Amino acid sequence: MTAVAQAAAPVPAVDPVEAKARRRRRKAPLGFYCAVGFLVLLVFLAVFADYLGFIRSPLQKVPGGARYKIGPGWTAWWGTDGLSRDVFARCIYGSRTTLQVGIYSTIFGITVGGLLGVLAGYFRGAVDRVVSVIIDCLLALPGLLLAIILISRLGAVKESTTWLNWLDRKWQIVLTLGILATAPLARIVRAQTMALREREFVLAARSLGAKPARVIFREIMPNLIPAILTVAFTGLSILIASEGALAFLGLGVEVPTPTWGKLIDENRAKIDIAWWATLFPCFMLFLTVWSFNIIGDRLSRRFDIRQAGV
Amino acid sequence: MRYFLQRLLQFVIVFFIVTFGVMVLIRMGLNAPGDPARTLLGGAPSDQLIAETTAKYHLDSNYLVQYWFWFWNFIQGDMGYSVQNSLPVFDLIKLRATVTLLLGFYSITFAVLIAVPLAVRQAYKRDSVFDRTASGLTFMFVSVPAIVLAPILTIILIDKNVFSIGDYQITIGGWFPRVGNKVYPWEDPVEHIKNFFVPVLVLTIPLAAVFTRLLRGDMVQTLQADFITLASAKGVSPRRVLWLHGLRNSLFSLLTGVGLQLGGIVGGAIVVETFFDLKGMGAMLVGAILSKDLFTVQSTAAILVACVVTVNLIVDLLYAVLDPRIRHARALA
Amino acid sequence: MSDLTQASTRSSGEPLIKLTDVTTHFETPRGLVRAVDGVSLQLERGRALGIVGESGSGKTILSRSIMGLLPPRGTVRGGSITFEGREIGNLDRKAMRTVWGKEMAMIFQDPMTSLNPVMKIGKQIAEPLQIHLGMTKQNAWATAEKLLTDVRIPEAKRRLEQYPHEMSGGMRQRVMIAIAIACGPTALFADEPTTALDVTVQAQILDLLGEQRRDRNMSLVLVTHDLGVVAGHTDEIAVMYGGKLVEKADTKRLFAHMKMPYTEALLHSIPKMADPSHTRLSAIAGRPPDMVNPPKGCRFAPRCQYAVDQCHHEEPPLVAAADDPTHLYACWQPVGSPEHRAARERIDSGAAPAMTAAAGGH
Repeated sequence: MTAVAQAAAPVPAVDPVEAKARRRRRKAPLGFYCAVGFLVLLVFLAVFADYLGFIRSPLQKVPGGARYKIGPGWTAWWGTDGLSRDVFARCIYGSRTTLQVGIYSTIFGITVGGLLGVLAGYFRGAVDRVVSVIIDCLLALPGLLLAIILISRLGAVKESTTWLNWLDRKWQIVLTLGILATAPLARIVRAQTMALREREFVLAARSLGAKPARVIFREIMPNLIPAILTVAFTGLSILIASEGALAFLGLGVEVPTPTWGKLIDENRAKIDIAWWATLFPCFMLFLTVWSFNIIGDRLSRRFDIRQAGV
Repeated sequence: MRYFLQRLLQFVIVFFIVTFGVMVLIRMGLNAPGDPARTLLGGAPSDQLIAETTAKYHLDSNYLVQYWFWFWNFIQGDMGYSVQNSLPVFDLIKLRATVTLLLGFYSITFAVLIAVPLAVRQAYKRDSVFDRTASGLTFMFVSVPAIVLAPILTIILIDKNVFSIGDYQITIGGWFPRVGNKVYPWEDPVEHIKNFFVPVLVLTIPLAAVFTRLLRGDMVQTLQADFITLASAKGVSPRRVLWLHGLRNSLFSLLTGVGLQLGGIVGGAIVVETFFDLKGMGAMLVGAILSKDLFTVQSTAAILVACVVTVNLIVDLLYAVLDPRIRHARALA
Repeated sequence: MSDLTQASTRSSGEPLIKLTDVTTHFETPRGLVRAVDGVSLQLERGRALGIVGESGSGKTILSRSIMGLLPPRGTVRGGSITFEGREIGNLDRKAMRTVWGKEMAMIFQDPMTSLNPVMKIGKQIAEPLQIHLGMTKQNAWATAEKLLTDVRIPEAKRRLEQYPHEMSGGMRQRVMIAIAIACGPTALFADEPTTALDVTVQAQILDLLGEQRRDRNMSLVLVTHDLGVVAGHTDEIAVMYGGKLVEKADTKRLFAHMKMPYTEALLHSIPKMADPSHTRLSAIAGRPPDMVNPPKGCRFAPRCQYAVDQCHHEEPPLVAAADDPTHLYACWQPVGSPEHRAARERIDSGAAPAMTAAAGGH
């Protein structure tokens, strides 16, 4: 019997070029798996660095490595820096701080930004206007500028307020980057909430008399997860780059703890004689940012999220 | 017209709120230890200066009053005094603004000049080898922030790298000066280019990548529209269809992109100026923050915010210029 | 190359467009879609041809195949298409560009999306004039103004400066017609020109098309699913189904003596003013055939109430009617034949279900 169910329209329902492209996209590309693999490896090394024999301590001096003597090779995989410390080790330990800061600030951004976005999108009216103004203002400040100001002042604030004693540099950075992450997240969540609000299942819940809080938690939030995840990953890449920039500018975490930005800054004076000390941290930063971007991009295509730009 | 006024109002409100917030942030916690004026001025100001400053900016009153006086002075051109540099802040900014503006202008211009032909060609030859390679490359370049690209380009272009292969010696690099001197274009064009080339390149590459991706997406969509088929069916040459009909309709995404990327450009400029030692506003800002020269910080930040918001306003108005439908809708609104 | 002055001197013996066994297939992931599967017909100069069929019949692809407006990749073409004696079926887009607009033109279904939203109307009309006829900008705009008047748009001069979104749907369609006829083409293809318009405007547009055709001695090809559209505005009608031509006749003759059951069903599915209210709409049961794997035998057989065994196994050839050689049809049980009558009796007596189901089957 002929297959009558599938009717082809006069202009082929599937433009042949488009179809081929779509097929290619659907297969999870090599890049995605490489990105995930890299990140998993990085996290693993960062978490277990203390127990892995082949990673030296970041402060340990490599004999004979003073003043960048040793280039990349067998003794020190990525060479040594000015104080004969192992560049590779410092990079791995540096990733700890960087990843931590990135993840915590993203969580902050998701919580605060998500909350603001949901409230604005669901309740609309005055709430929406207030939140929108806040978002606009946050976005009017160039990101790095805001971060710089916040960090520099948070130090002073901490000193003058006793109950903020726990707010050491690392947490200041987390807070700052978190605030940076809030605005774009709030915007996306707001847009998604406004769209979801009018969908049938939400209307159904509301018509049954469900209280707003219940509707938000049970119906809307679960559906926000794809959007949040996507923005989170792409946002992480931006936050990590920002952390690098801040460290580079001298506003990063305190002295002994290495982060990639700091490593770049420390060693850039001698970049002509010891390129390895700057290049490898650079590379790590790039690969991490790229990996998060790849994942974020893949997620956005999977969930079909259209963003105007984070 | 009414729309324009609305947007102007928004601009003003946002500017006020943001600069107020910045001021509060900066002046928060000033009261301890010691005199607010002392901390604000930084360095080692004379007692007389402290007294003068406290009086002029009303540093002993609450924040709203302080803001008013700050703002009032600001628009008159009095942006505070930097003890560090022994200069009024306004003069400092004047000295440095050109560099930053040049950086921004160059990077946006070149990024657009690169993105447009690239994206158009990509959209025209969709899914060809060219398209796919270009897409991959642009995606990669989107992920190279300034801090990453600056050292890499320094190694490649600025430092002399001598490779010996057998008897041959290849020298790559050494073409550009190590420390960027802010040579103005009208002083010495060649030196100017040599000094600005690498910094601008660092900013341009990720920007061009972002713009290319934006434009390609928009063009691919536009080219599928009916009116493109009709234009071809009228006998219009593909080049004309592509550029006059296709691109013309896709420029919006590019415009939006410029507006959105502005924050990133400022951040990038800050990093680039610090890395290459270019004496622009970004470097000054960082120096001021590290040395606690807070007056400078506040005013410089205010200027940068004003610039960003202004450009966004212009972008928004340009929409009406580009798209008659929007012009129409706004006129009716 | 022809231009308007030569047009009327051409003898009407030679057909303007001649299709011989034209096929257009598309490579898709599901397989080869045989959108147009062996169509032969010809169109004389100055005549109006209606191509009728459901969505999926291949009518739109046929008109685009003649024009050569097919996607550049994944398309397999066969057969011969001649225009004024020249073979154009194998020309690439570059070569066709000299033909498009100047000798063959097309208007599309949705005038809103077919006009460039950011370009002034005047410019869009002037464009082909400047390209094909080498007019100066001034001349072109002046001609554009005249064209707008020809298509019955009032205040032509003002309209030239307007944008598409400032006009109503009917007016935009008129603009499209103006663009199409600007360079005086010998053939105009109209792909569902009235589907997106109000009923009242539909008639005006069709009248306009007919008027232009007569004034310019242009051939017109009207592609539509609506028999009502072609009824009063065409000289001959070709009915397509499943990528094939199933019936072709002069218009009057088709309505009076249709042979294909499919044509009959199409006619019956048009709601009539004279019917009492709440009369159920008759629709043709079933769905268009799968063009990757078309049914064996007559393609309409699965949905045809008169179908017998032979219909399911052997494809009927296109033959001429006994009493009128210009009337072609492809059916084993044409309307009016004894076999058909027998089948009819079977249906009427309730032995077999009626083909036309109530609305809901379409």
